[in-house]
Amino acid sequence: MLSLLLAATLLQQQVAPDAPAIMPAFTKDTVEIRQDFSGEEMILFGATHGLTIQDEIVVVLRGPPQDVRVMRRERTFGIWVNSDPHEFADVPSYLAIASSRPLEQFARPDALRHNGIGLQFLLESRPENQDEELREYREAVERTGEREAIYDIDPAGVEILDGGLFRATLALPPSTPVGTYTATVYLFRDGRPIANRPISLTVEKAGLERWIYDFAHDLPLLYGLICVILAMLAGYLAALAFTKR
Amino acid sequence: MQIYLPIAEVSVNLFLLLGLGAGVGFLSGMFGVGGGFLMTPMLMFIGIPPTVAVASEANQIVASSASGALAHWQRRSLDPKMGAVLLSGGVVGSVLGVQLFAFLSTLGQIDLIIRLSYVTFLGTIGLIMLVESVRTIRRRSQPEARREGGTMRRKRNWIDALPLKMRFPRSGLYISVIPPVLIGAFVGVLAAIMGVGGGFVMVPAMIYILRMPTNVVVGTSLFQIFFVSALTTTLQASQNQTVDVVLALLLTVGGVIGAQFGARAGRLVKAEDLRALLALMVLAVCIKVGVELVVTPSELFEVLPRGMEGGH
Repeated sequence: MLSLLLAATLLQQQVAPDAPAIMPAFTKDTVEIRQDFSGEEMILFGATHGLTIQDEIVVVLRGPPQDVRVMRRERTFGIWVNSDPHEFADVPSYLAIASSRPLEQFARPDALRHNGIGLQFLLESRPENQDEELREYREAVERTGEREAIYDIDPAGVEILDGGLFRATLALPPSTPVGTYTATVYLFRDGRPIANRPISLTVEKAGLERWIYDFAHDLPLLYGLICVILAMLAGYLAALAFTKR
Repeated sequence: MQIYLPIAEVSVNLFLLLGLGAGVGFLSGMFGVGGGFLMTPMLMFIGIPPTVAVASEANQIVASSASGALAHWQRRSLDPKMGAVLLSGGVVGSVLGVQLFAFLSTLGQIDLIIRLSYVTFLGTIGLIMLVESVRTIRRRSQPEARREGGTMRRKRNWIDALPLKMRFPRSGLYISVIPPVLIGAFVGVLAAIMGVGGGFVMVPAMIYILRMPTNVVVGTSLFQIFFVSALTTTLQASQNQTVDVVLALLLTVGGVIGAQFGARAGRLVKAEDLRALLALMVLAVCIKVGVELVVTPSELFEVLPRGMEGGH
């Protein structure tokens, strides 16, 4: 029975007409980073079909993957030096997990592991990262992400409303990385996700910020020269303004 | 009011940046120093990535040295020939420094190298300045102190033995080009790695090693700093994409205004007292950076995004 349900989940929820289904939507599908961007709260609304009172909703929002290198700080001749690097490939640059109740109260650990819900499970999903000696490294990635607010676990971030509706709140920090994000909404029943539905979100620089960023990366030499000319101009104007007084 | 910096990719308070620019500008106007050695650590302290802090500060130094160099040029209080020789070394040093910077970034050691350079140079220069200025202050309080020796006779030293001599009429020197080229190169490397102009190394080197007359030292130093920081900015931008023009311009606006008030305040204080104060400040920054190298960090791991461009 369980394996059947799992198979149905994997083959998309439309397979069985009575199976629960989720229809999520962000209040806006593009986040624009402009000069006054200082983080943003994203609201994800959703309707479900076949949601019962025991069911729980989990929303996982993942930023574009990046490779990170973790180094251990070691005291060498009295000073702290980075050493023993280990690289983790495809770590989400942002990860938020919002749920209607604390995950440990309703989700089975193997179900979380299997679906990669939780940063540790994501890191461990790759064979090269599974080594027990790397446990401290994996924990460091999680700890650092939490400190920088790019990994956010909110056990009360999903509010289940009447009529099978729900609302998830996800906080994007000021240092939100740009790129394409994927939010996956899971419907948990008896400790396992019985339905899921992904939805994408775009975070991009906009306006002058985008123009400057693109300029600096597309025409770096010209950008550098213009930076120098602007600075020279500023210095010259300053000299002019203050010698006249 | 928060402002998002497009290259640093962080959001910082606008007034904090303007205030920081004005504060460091005030001190640099007062003491007649560039202020890069204060600004770069401060930027890192408020959360700007070290690579962006160093490169953007080089950009700001272009602005602050431009007006100074121009003024000295008009007053003819700089030695353009010596400046050009220093600069030829500076170009090589800056190119090497930017390469070294990129290489150390890929190793994940750039943060450590920046900090170690700060501790080494600020510690050395600060101590020398402090000792020298305290001696002068003591001598002042004992007006009857005997002056040692008569006229300072220029001793022949190892520099006079070097080949490739050249005449520098404005400085009244006939010396080998090797020492100034080496000094210029060294300062160029420092500019790229530490995000400083390097005046605090170059001015003493010009006085004590090259024995240039003091009236052309500051102008010539500014001349070299201007061109080297302009080159460093261009190289950092084209190679590492770490120059944040918004950050640099905001710091410049604050800095220009602060420097004017600083220069006025500086005239109220005696030169040797100023130098003692500056030495204490340099040592304070040195200790602050040094302590962070030694104290057990709260986090024993460092997570570094891979690669400098793209992604994040």
